[in-house]
Amino acid sequence: MPIEFKQDCALFADVVSVEEAEGLLEWLQKQPSPKVDLSACGHLHTANLQVLMAAKPEIVNWPADSALRAWLESALNLTT
Amino acid sequence: MTPLLEQFLSESHEFSQGIGQKLMQLEDQPGDRDAMDELFRLMHTLKGNSGLFAFPEMTRVLHAGEDLLGMVRSEQISYSRELADRLLAAMDFVMVLCGDIEATESIDAFRAQDSVQIAESLRALMPAPAMAIHGASGAATPAAAAASTAAARPDAAPPLFAELPEAARSEAIRQSQGGVALHWIVYSPTPECFFVGDDPFHRTRQTPNLLWGCLRSRESFPPLAELDTYRCVLDFHLLTAAPREELAKYFRYVPDQISYLAVDPRWLAGERLESARGPDAAASNEDLLPGDAPPLAENTAQLPPEVRAALDTILSAQRKILQLDDRPAWRPGRLKSVAALLANLAMAAGDASAGDAIEAALARALASGQVAPLLEWLDSSTLDASKPGVIPEKETPMPGQPDAPAGVKFGRRAEDRARSPEDGVKFGRRAEDAYNGPKSLKVDQAKIDCLMNLIGELVVSKNALPYLAQRAEKQFGVRELSREIKSQYAVINRIADEMQGAIMQVRMMAVSFVFQRFPRLVRDISHKLGKEVQLVLEGEQTEADKNIVESLADPLIHIVRNSLDHGLETPEVRRACGKPEMGTITIRARQDSDRVVIEVVDDGKGIDPAVIKRKAYEKGMIDEAALERIGDREAIDLIFNAGLSTVEVVTDLSGRGVGMDVVRSAVHKINGSVSIESTLGKGTTIRISLPLSMAVSQVMIIESDGQLFGVPMDHVVETVRIPRSAIVWIKQSMTAVLRGRIVPLKALNSLLGVSAPPRANGDDELAVLLVQAGGEILGLLVDGFKETLGLIQKPLGGVLSGLSAYSGSALLGDGSVLMILNCREIV
Repeated sequence: MPIEFKQDCALFADVVSVEEAEGLLEWLQKQPSPKVDLSACGHLHTANLQVLMAAKPEIVNWPADSALRAWLESALNLTT
Repeated sequence: MTPLLEQFLSESHEFSQGIGQKLMQLEDQPGDRDAMDELFRLMHTLKGNSGLFAFPEMTRVLHAGEDLLGMVRSEQISYSRELADRLLAAMDFVMVLCGDIEATESIDAFRAQDSVQIAESLRALMPAPAMAIHGASGAATPAAAAASTAAARPDAAPPLFAELPEAARSEAIRQSQGGVALHWIVYSPTPECFFVGDDPFHRTRQTPNLLWGCLRSRESFPPLAELDTYRCVLDFHLLTAAPREELAKYFRYVPDQISYLAVDPRWLAGERLESARGPDAAASNEDLLPGDAPPLAENTAQLPPEVRAALDTILSAQRKILQLDDRPAWRPGRLKSVAALLANLAMAAGDASAGDAIEAALARALASGQVAPLLEWLDSSTLDASKPGVIPEKETPMPGQPDAPAGVKFGRRAEDRARSPEDGVKFGRRAEDAYNGPKSLKVDQAKIDCLMNLIGELVVSKNALPYLAQRAEKQFGVRELSREIKSQYAVINRIADEMQGAIMQVRMMAVSFVFQRFPRLVRDISHKLGKEVQLVLEGEQTEADKNIVESLADPLIHIVRNSLDHGLETPEVRRACGKPEMGTITIRARQDSDRVVIEVVDDGKGIDPAVIKRKAYEKGMIDEAALERIGDREAIDLIFNAGLSTVEVVTDLSGRGVGMDVVRSAVHKINGSVSIESTLGKGTTIRISLPLSMAVSQVMIIESDGQLFGVPMDHVVETVRIPRSAIVWIKQSMTAVLRGRIVPLKALNSLLGVSAPPRANGDDELAVLLVQAGGEILGLLVDGFKETLGLIQKPLGGVLSGLSAYSGSALLGDGSVLMILNCREIV
């Protein structure tokens, strides 16, 4: 599972594909204050990125990959 | 090249030709359902095939073509010449791509832009709702248009440029100072791109030499419950140092979603955007830059009341203009003027980024022919404080265009795409496609040539058997064996002959191969010249050797062009001459014993020998004496000379005076002849006569100074023996009178540089071979005549190829080499 849902925190790992987006969205809707841990994430499909941008969950850890981190920070901070 | 790709290429050629034919057939009979279905099937199959390979450029064009034909077939739009022209152009493009693939197994990245343009030009013929269905072009256009207009104003940096962080900016400056051209890319993926397996974010991240990038949402996100996960709403803005070609190659699958902007080094210099916009706007620009769709109210609200009132008056006038529908033809012009005015207003009100949004709305409006996008912009804009609650007409469709609910189709389309892999119906159709296929093998020509060479060798070695039989009888005295060898020889001889005939049959090709390109040629040229021309093709099934048929193409094109340009008159002139307005060009092929005769007949104005003579004299081709002497026939033959053109003006079609000369030399190269007949005012007939096959040539063998030579039978007129006493010397030349005609005589030995004199027979008669060379008859003095043989001529290779006296060589049955004389060259 590229995304592991632990109580109120979603752990992203490796490459998160387009198929995950639907599940991620559902989970985010159910959680009162969702958190996302991206530390192990290598890439996430555009669809997932959009869901994160729309839902604006709290990011507890940014990706270790600095290039990806720069992208995500600019994209997700923009909407918050 | 894989066999699959080879097959694809050869099929593509066939399909494209088929499509061209059907398009023209439909032009004559627009209502032909069968032809329409066949055309659609061809396009569909070709598109499907191209999808098997990574040729997005080809698939894109074919897909657009297929969609367009689909609409024609369902009678949503009607067939027109415009439509045919664009589809033909698209097929030409596909053929060019095929050529590329054949040469390099890939398509150059720079074709992508052409491919987008052609696909757009096809889609432009579809009514507006169809545009919306294909988000690929519809949705991406605004962004592309916005960026392309930005490119048109090179001094203005894109708004997001100001976001560039300091680190990226200094890196960019460093690269730029190092002479690297930087590019600003706006990548707007289509909303449904996820369904075709696209990941725009991934593609963006992998962009070569990426310096910096950011992404923006095209629209604000709805509440989570309404969010459509599978709809892409992001735009990517990138700064890269990669060369343009590399970028084009990298983004080759999505060229229609990409727009490029060459980065002006001044943007990097830290001046920001002030210089382009004026000092007043600068302050608000700083605030506006972070967001893509900045709030405008702050600016407009601060306007003084009298300006506000003026603004409102202007805006309400624009609304009225947009809603006018008295003259649909004027609508594009109105849209442009309204958009220009709105952009200026927005600029004046301090809203710099609105310009791009207006441009985008304009592009959408122009593409769809509807005013809605601009009205929507007006509604959303805070420029207009006096927004009317109700707009009388939300969408004003162009007259005559179906007003289908685009949204419904949109959804269905997405479903189709998602489901297509397991779509059984389509596969059924593909299976049917193969059902109609011709029952023929496709064989590489090299293999047939190889077979031809082998049979040639077999014929030669078979001819050695009679010599062997002779030796068995004479040298070894075994008559029995000799007879047996001879009977075996007869059997092998028969089989070899039949085999040779069979292989020749394989190489035979119908002249329709060449003829089929003429309907298109005649159509295009006659349209261009404003002439009405009917093309009649006769005897298309006449067959000849493949090489002959292929080499026929160029001369025939020249001749037909000449007929169209010079021969046929314009409809007005024809009417004045009492001829039907529509001219006729007939291309006729028939077999005449062992030759193929091709005639190009037009019923045009004919050739005036007097004009030709005068022109030739002016150009110094003939002298005054010749001017008086030559008859009409010979005068007309002068048009085959290089440099003669009777037209005053050189056009792109003809008039350079090379055409007919090229025709003659091309025909001569394949041992053919060309003649012309013309009646002034009635028309012209050009006749080309060609051998059926180049493979086996009939050769007469002659002997001179103990050596054997071959002379092609095409050149041999007759063989005679002339008593030495009948030869008359005129100065240095020998002549003889034969049947009341003076014939110049030349000794073959002296022509070949052999010192021996011609040998006479017992009655002191010399053997004279009358040959036709360059239109004249000439007698060659030889020592003796031998038999005539069917031979397979081999061209001289290597250093020998420079010997123009010989046209080739052949092997004789006893293993000796026979040199074939080239009569035109030696005399």
